[in-house]
Amino acid sequence: MPLLVRWIWLLLALHLAVGVIAYAHFLLTGQYVVLGWYFSVLGSSFFLVMTTAECCLAFACRSWFDQDEPMRLAWSMIACAALARLAGTLLREISDGHLPWGSGHWLIPHPGGLFANSSQMALVVGGPLSMAFLAIGLGRVLSIQRKFKLAGSLTRGDRALLILILAFSVSQIAIDLPLLGRHPSLGTMLLWLSDPLLSLLLVEAVLVRRSVIRIGHGLLARCWGMFVVAIVTTSAGDAALWATSRDLLPEPLAALSWYIWFVAAAAFASAPAYQLAAMTLTRQESLRLTAIR
Amino acid sequence: MSLEPQSSSGFWLRKRACVPAEESTSEAASPSGLDDLRARLNHWGQLWSVESEANDRSYAQRLVAERLTRWLERCFGQHAPRSLRGKDDCVSLASSMPVLTAFLGRRATRELSRRILQDI
Repeated sequence: MPLLVRWIWLLLALHLAVGVIAYAHFLLTGQYVVLGWYFSVLGSSFFLVMTTAECCLAFACRSWFDQDEPMRLAWSMIACAALARLAGTLLREISDGHLPWGSGHWLIPHPGGLFANSSQMALVVGGPLSMAFLAIGLGRVLSIQRKFKLAGSLTRGDRALLILILAFSVSQIAIDLPLLGRHPSLGTMLLWLSDPLLSLLLVEAVLVRRSVIRIGHGLLARCWGMFVVAIVTTSAGDAALWATSRDLLPEPLAALSWYIWFVAAAAFASAPAYQLAAMTLTRQESLRLTAIR
Repeated sequence: MSLEPQSSSGFWLRKRACVPAEESTSEAASPSGLDDLRARLNHWGQLWSVESEANDRSYAQRLVAERLTRWLERCFGQHAPRSLRGKDDCVSLASSMPVLTAFLGRRATRELSRRILQDI
């Protein structure tokens, strides 16, 4: 496992270990004090660290490709997705006042009529905008994989899953469309795009997963595999949020489901770390050989 | 626009006629230097694509294929060399370099090929 990836997952393990203590406290006392502090302070810091790492690593990967190389566009889009996620996290932390100096409303210009508030703007930037960039980037990766015949053929199970995803997105659109009559804000309408975009990302994840199975578990395959893990965990987190909003999940389970977002953040950061490890593999080997000599 | 006139022999004859006589003659290279260059190019050409039968392959070709396989496995995965085999069912620089360049970029592939061809 590359050093950077090891650090990311070690940090996640430590963070989750503290989270287990906070969750145990919640289960024993039934109070949200420690759990709330854990998610608002440690959780926010963890998201900031992970999204910053993801953004820096994605831009580093992009810089390894020349202007005319096909993967340059893919990594540009993935880097933009990471930047949008970082911006969304920062905006949310500032508007929620989870920063060391408290609330930072004065830092964000008033969003005006487009968004209901700055939190909604943060959700749009870190959600649908980031997903759209990632969908374009992964689409590009898939087309290059197909060009080199690295894309694997779909199984019956994959096809069934794709049909299920498509049915889910159509049902979501059918639920949201009648709400247009209530003249919602642009921010609300943009947030409706989250589900269809997540479905598109899931479709891409299924296709990417096939290619990973076809070629094995090298560094590049793990990079794509991490995107699959990140998209699937994001979908699971989204589904848990949906279930919680409809009182389908009991309170302890709902609180437990929040932890899934940390796994998604770590997986998103690990993907460019694997790509960078593959690109610097020869350099690392040279350094190791020099050290041995 | 048609490219036909340019590809005809007439075009090249006309083009050749435009070059002044003194410019068309270059300083003669020493025969030993040319032979050395030819031998080197042939050697790299043989390493680039494995066209001969599998049992006729030279030690250098086998070494290149072995190193390439190892790098492909590390970068892509253990099944990647099988997916990237050329027409002759062998892993060669010709069959692997395009995919390596596409997914790792030119700079990383240049370093990688330097490592593969080291001491050959």
